[in-house]
Amino acid sequence: MTGVLRPTTLVGMTSAFACTLGAALLVSSKPNEQSRIRFENRQAQSGVTFILNNGTTDDKPIIDSTLGGVALLDYDNDGYLDLFFTNGASIPSLSKSNPTFSNRLYHNNRDGTFTDVTEHAGVAGEGYSMGAAAADYDNDGWVDLYLTGVNRNILYHNNKDGTFTDVTQKAGVAGISDGRKLWSVSAAWIDYDNDGLLDLLVTNYLDWSPENSRVCGPQGRRLSCPPSLYKGEPNILYHNNGDGTFTDVSEATGIARHVGKGMGVAIADYDGDGWTDIFVANDNERNFLFKNRRGQGFDEVGVESFVAYTDDGVPVSSMGADFRDWSNSGRPGLFVTALGGETFPLFRNEDHGIFTMATYESGIGFASFKMSGWGAGIYDLDNDGYKDLFSANSHVSENADVNPQQQYRQPNGVFQNLRNATFRDVSVEAGPAMRLRAAHRGAAFGDLNNDGKVDVVVSAIGSPAELLYNTSTGGNHWIAIETVGTKSNRDGIGTRIKLTAESGLVQYNEVTTAGSYASSSDKRVHFGLGRDSIIKEIELRWPSGTLQLLRNVKTDQVLKITER
Amino acid sequence: MLLVLLPCTPSQVRATPCSGAEQQLASIRKELAAGNSRAAEQMLQEMEHTHPECPEAILAHARIADAKGATAEAEDTFVRYANLAPTVGNAYSYHARFLLEHGQYQRADDLSAQALEVDPNDAVALAVRGEILDMKGQPQQGMELLEKACQLDPRNARAQFQLATIYDRAKRLADAVSHFEKVVEMDPSNAQAWDYLALDLEPLGEVERADLAYQKGLAANQPGPHFDSFLDYNYGRFLMKRNDLPASKRHLDRAVELAPDIRAPWYERAKLNLRVKNYAQAREDAERAANIRDPRGIIIDLQLYVLLEQIYTRLGDTASAGKYARLSRQTPVPPRKD
Repeated sequence: MTGVLRPTTLVGMTSAFACTLGAALLVSSKPNEQSRIRFENRQAQSGVTFILNNGTTDDKPIIDSTLGGVALLDYDNDGYLDLFFTNGASIPSLSKSNPTFSNRLYHNNRDGTFTDVTEHAGVAGEGYSMGAAAADYDNDGWVDLYLTGVNRNILYHNNKDGTFTDVTQKAGVAGISDGRKLWSVSAAWIDYDNDGLLDLLVTNYLDWSPENSRVCGPQGRRLSCPPSLYKGEPNILYHNNGDGTFTDVSEATGIARHVGKGMGVAIADYDGDGWTDIFVANDNERNFLFKNRRGQGFDEVGVESFVAYTDDGVPVSSMGADFRDWSNSGRPGLFVTALGGETFPLFRNEDHGIFTMATYESGIGFASFKMSGWGAGIYDLDNDGYKDLFSANSHVSENADVNPQQQYRQPNGVFQNLRNATFRDVSVEAGPAMRLRAAHRGAAFGDLNNDGKVDVVVSAIGSPAELLYNTSTGGNHWIAIETVGTKSNRDGIGTRIKLTAESGLVQYNEVTTAGSYASSSDKRVHFGLGRDSIIKEIELRWPSGTLQLLRNVKTDQVLKITER
Repeated sequence: MLLVLLPCTPSQVRATPCSGAEQQLASIRKELAAGNSRAAEQMLQEMEHTHPECPEAILAHARIADAKGATAEAEDTFVRYANLAPTVGNAYSYHARFLLEHGQYQRADDLSAQALEVDPNDAVALAVRGEILDMKGQPQQGMELLEKACQLDPRNARAQFQLATIYDRAKRLADAVSHFEKVVEMDPSNAQAWDYLALDLEPLGEVERADLAYQKGLAANQPGPHFDSFLDYNYGRFLMKRNDLPASKRHLDRAVELAPDIRAPWYERAKLNLRVKNYAQAREDAERAANIRDPRGIIIDLQLYVLLEQIYTRLGDTASAGKYARLSRQTPVPPRKD
């Protein structure tokens, strides 16, 4: 299955012996005319002291490796992104038995510092938390927050005064299926039926519990067990009833018919039919692509679309995923993170509902082969009009280092788009922050200081979260578009944006907070524009079906566009 | 105490029939190790003039006979030597290696064990025993013996190779690379070692070095004991990853010629043809691959179904594409090897 044919002599002899004994990138080398992607970790001066605590034990239960969602959300509507970190709990009680397990909300002070407002906001959380998904589900203009976890999912409603209320029970989104709480990892807010209300897709992973927890590896050097030792779980889709409650429509929509080992989730209208589709990254199972049947349900077409497996016909340990148009083709492609030795699948959307895996063709194959990735993002990090790739990296197992070929703590990865459908691994040259080895997990993307560059916040087990401010050079122009739906959901999630720059460069993106690994990113849609200081046209296709055009738009601004 | 020690001190060593021939014997061993049996034979003749009673000459005769393909003569001579020098380790170790090379595994197993009992530090015995233990499914024990053998005699290319293959299977890639490099340094004609070296360099991110190793392996790949019929296949795959599609095709074309009964080369060439949009040829190759069993699981059925689905989709044959989509959905995915 590796595809490698080792030279034969040994194999032949081994077989004979057993019988006898009955025993036994093309990477462009042209001069870099592009701006340099650089990041600076400003955690130390930020006041953000969050350390992801997985509460692990000597037996290294599998839950200890899969947590770490991060959310970037402007919970107080001051125009600046605030930070939210999910956190672990004691094992096996799965309770946040001391403050080191608290989830954390940090308010952005707009000067590069943050203030911990967790207690005041009432979002310390309960249980062994995993992921976060932020969006305004009740269209009141204030972002709400959904958390996933092993034994507890929580929906926090924003009270508009800096506090939140846990409305999980009333809303009916506790992550329980057939009377059993499933281990949820990621969530995505999506208006799948275009009714103007955000629905909620929750990915579920394995049937783990403290009682059936398995142990792998020798004593004292336990490793995280492979997911094959546990059964997978179905995902859940909640339909928003518009009255603060949700209905589990997993069966009715066909979502629950497909059982995988769901980790990351990303959404996009991959076939351009005006209905948002869902990609679920499954760990060592085939990935799911849920094609939206015009709001009536979903067909799982991962196999038919060629995103279920790699181009080598095998599944990988898919963890994070992002679903955006990285090729400026008008069709969203996929970037998936996976384990070392597997490469990170990068899928190009070929139209007509099929994808081609372009991992080696695009030049990220050899570099990503050595990486184990979690958080994943397709963002234009140098504002040149071409989206780059970011991965938050670390091996799964804390004791992976017992094998000298493995490294638990890994530096993050960044691949620069060379504007010709290929990428170059520029991780090492992107600054000391990108050489920092840690047990990275979730990654959320957004412009923390509104300087027009996409920053990244990454969690890491046992070490401080990293606030990777984007300090890329080049002076390129940019725009960030904040959509306000009126007929559509208020966040405008699912709006497809086509941007034509003065130079004629055309780019596409969609409004979403979903993607990456267990994380939630800036809902504003960011475009880099290179030397273009004027945007010829911005076209928005809202989920309601409304088509809206803006012409001759200035760059270097956060532009709020209200649906007309 | 002094009396006991005295015979062991070099100045007091009693003369033996081989005394004074040590240098010649070492040269003979060196020539034999290098595969120069003719030169070894000449040296042996000269030595026998001066040391006609030296028993080790018999061992040399046995090894020369083996090198010349005179199997029966070699066998007899190894036995004769063991009868003459039953307490010497190499009386069994070379014989064990001979038996191993000639497929007499049980006897090789017994003799290698006996050789180590006589002399636990006999480098040849350690190497042969290590190789046998690995073949018997005891790679850890085999590795330990081979490591010791390589320490005692770093110039034993075969032991270096065997040790490196154990590291390769254990995914100790850097260690494997280090030992395969020793092999190709001693024997640049060993195409298999070059192939392994390239395969292990690649996942370490040493792409250019891997490319060079493949090229050197191909240059050395001549008929003989080290001929590697999969080298073109592995290089063709590698070149496809490097986006050198024409060169990849050349090597995959050769790979299917060299190994027409193996699924993997056909599969890989089908992938290449799919990539260059030569769908008809891709279908032909993939269907050919599908008709070849792959008991080693190098290319599993699921991979073929996925590939065939892609090819038929591109050919517009929705019925066949649908068939293979169903098959791939029905086929369990292989578990991850953590």
